[in-house]
Amino acid sequence: MARWKDSRDPRAVRFEEPDYAALLDSVRGIRWPARSAVRGGIPGAHTSRMRGSSAEFTEYRPYRQGDDLRRIDWKLFARSDRAYIRLSNDRAILPTTVVLDASASMAFPIPSLGKWSLAAQAAIGLAAVARNSADPVGLVIARASEIVHIPPRTRQSVINEMVRAISETNPSGNHPMTPAIDAAVRMSGRAVLITDFLGDGDDLLASASRAVVAGKEIHALHVIAPEEIDPPRETLLVSDPEQADIRRPLTGDARDAYLAAFSAWRERTAHEWSEAGVSYSVAIVGDEAPDHLVRRIAAPRGVAASA
Amino acid sequence: MTFLAPGFFFASLAVAAAVVALHLIVTRQPRAGILPTARFVPDLPANATARATRPSDLMLMLLRVLLVLAAGAGLAKPIVKPARGAQARVILMDVSRSVSDSAALRDSVRALYRNHDAVVVFDSSARVIAVNAADSIRAATFTRARGNLSAALIAAMRAGSGLRDVADSVELVIVSPFAAEELDRATDSVRRLWKGRARLVNVRGLSADSLSASRTLDISSTTSDPFQITALKLRESPDATGLIVRSGVFDSARASDRALIHWPVAERPRSAVERSARDTIGGVVAGDALVVSAFERRWAYPEDSIRGSDVVARWVDGQPAAIETPTVNGCVRSVAIPLASAGDLVIRHDFIRFVAALSGDCASRTAMRAADSDVIARLEESGGLASRDAFRPRGDVRSDLAPWLIGFAIAAAIAELFVRRRRTAEAAAARGDSAMEKRAA
Repeated sequence: MARWKDSRDPRAVRFEEPDYAALLDSVRGIRWPARSAVRGGIPGAHTSRMRGSSAEFTEYRPYRQGDDLRRIDWKLFARSDRAYIRLSNDRAILPTTVVLDASASMAFPIPSLGKWSLAAQAAIGLAAVARNSADPVGLVIARASEIVHIPPRTRQSVINEMVRAISETNPSGNHPMTPAIDAAVRMSGRAVLITDFLGDGDDLLASASRAVVAGKEIHALHVIAPEEIDPPRETLLVSDPEQADIRRPLTGDARDAYLAAFSAWRERTAHEWSEAGVSYSVAIVGDEAPDHLVRRIAAPRGVAASA
Repeated sequence: MTFLAPGFFFASLAVAAAVVALHLIVTRQPRAGILPTARFVPDLPANATARATRPSDLMLMLLRVLLVLAAGAGLAKPIVKPARGAQARVILMDVSRSVSDSAALRDSVRALYRNHDAVVVFDSSARVIAVNAADSIRAATFTRARGNLSAALIAAMRAGSGLRDVADSVELVIVSPFAAEELDRATDSVRRLWKGRARLVNVRGLSADSLSASRTLDISSTTSDPFQITALKLRESPDATGLIVRSGVFDSARASDRALIHWPVAERPRSAVERSARDTIGGVVAGDALVVSAFERRWAYPEDSIRGSDVVARWVDGQPAAIETPTVNGCVRSVAIPLASAGDLVIRHDFIRFVAALSGDCASRTAMRAADSDVIARLEESGGLASRDAFRPRGDVRSDLAPWLIGFAIAAAIAELFVRRRRTAEAAAARGDSAMEKRAA
């Protein structure tokens, strides 16, 4: 468990940059298939909703007026004297954007910034996995001063750009996530939301629901620090880093009430996001390695991630 | 230095220790920490008790400790004890009517008086002079009140308690003519309370022999006056020496060295006025003599008429029934007690004793009569001086430091109020700054 230090002590902040190179090595070769057929015409690795003329045969269909004559199977026509169209499934790319919450609540625990570190590694790892499937990947960081936006690209250097943008970000302030996810789903078929849901949760859920209805694939990664699940038993006057007016004593009795309230809130959040059609996952800092977390999220539906 | 009531000081020490402990065990806000999910913590008052290694507010704690100690010391009445000498005196100075030569008595007391001596001035009451006794001796006024040596001896015990811290032994000096009327039945008992001998300084007293008169009771009345029977029964009494005028011309010049008693049968007594409404009362008292009978009151003595006179008999409701006015040679008594022409009152023993008390010597002569020599010898006693241990410590000793200490405690309390308010304001300002910084962040 990380040490619990006074936030006013500047010497207490000791954040070490994650080892992204090791992470990228460990997720090399992992594929992240789309959860359903994707739209789009650019050939890629994911099954497309479009039926095209690729080499991978699927079925025949009787010719209808207006069909391209070039797609008629002439050999079959010669044998049966009937015109059939040869059909095959198209493969398409799935532009993926990672939306990263950089609010002050992510800068916790203070010495190690464990939540932010895990969120950053998950973002880079998932982006790399998507990039392995030749999908364009982008990044949106919702931070106090501006929204950092790297549009989805397929070029090799996009991962480095993402690493640089994350490294330059210092999580602070209190800002809404909804504009960030709206921007992400405008340009991508898949959006990965990495946050602790302690900001504008209701608006965020509404935006994600609309995106799901629009056929987008939305993943939500709920980042939780173990200190939030099991706060210290010492009496403390805890304050919310995003709302200065919230200063409350965490005593023995208050701790029990806190545990009950926080647990109920997590269950409600998981239920609401799952009900909205979002792929909801929980990541607890220190519980699992970042590459394992990436495998778990990228695993096809119904398939458990292998270590 | 010592304390007259040390319990208060020890209590203040305990309270001061508690104050220090309370400053070490303070109620304050617990240590601050960051928790992003703080919104799920119930909103309760943010105070907790913690133990500190240093006092929470040194200035405030010092003020409070000083306040408590000063108040405790003030209530404990600290006194500075002077150096104790070998001997001190309690001088009883008689200023009653028994003193015929006041200058001689005053000179005697002045000659006896030394620093740290206590002087008790007495007549019918006694008072201890603790400050500027030499001036008080010089300015002492002699009264017409009857002396009371018993009261003076009791006051001497009190004065002796005041001297127990000044001297190892205390001598009792009585400067008085030692008139018989100054001693009573309690005098011997009270004298025995003083555990030591006394020095008696007798100033110009008259012997009982020189004052004794070979007079008998005389009466000027008609033969039909039943009071003649009472007078006849009192002829042999040595106490009854006056001249009772019941009828005829009353001439105050007849009062030569004895009491001239105006007790008319029906006329208005001297100095009396007729009452607005007659009434009946059940008794009258003169000295120790009480007569219970129905008297019809016709006369009264207004305030102005008894000025300069002594009341020698009173009705049972307290109003004067007879007064005595001193003259050049003796005294004149006016008696406003009507006697019924019928009845057995005049032959009753209590009435005869009552008349004897009324017809005794004038007060001025009684006051001069010296006590018997054996009575005076009992006053002197023998043996050593009274030790300081024979006196109980006084409970009414004043502490000069106590008012200053109480004043200091009040000043400390006011200062504590201001310092506490300032600390509260500073703490509130600090909380406000902290909140603003957080909002800015």
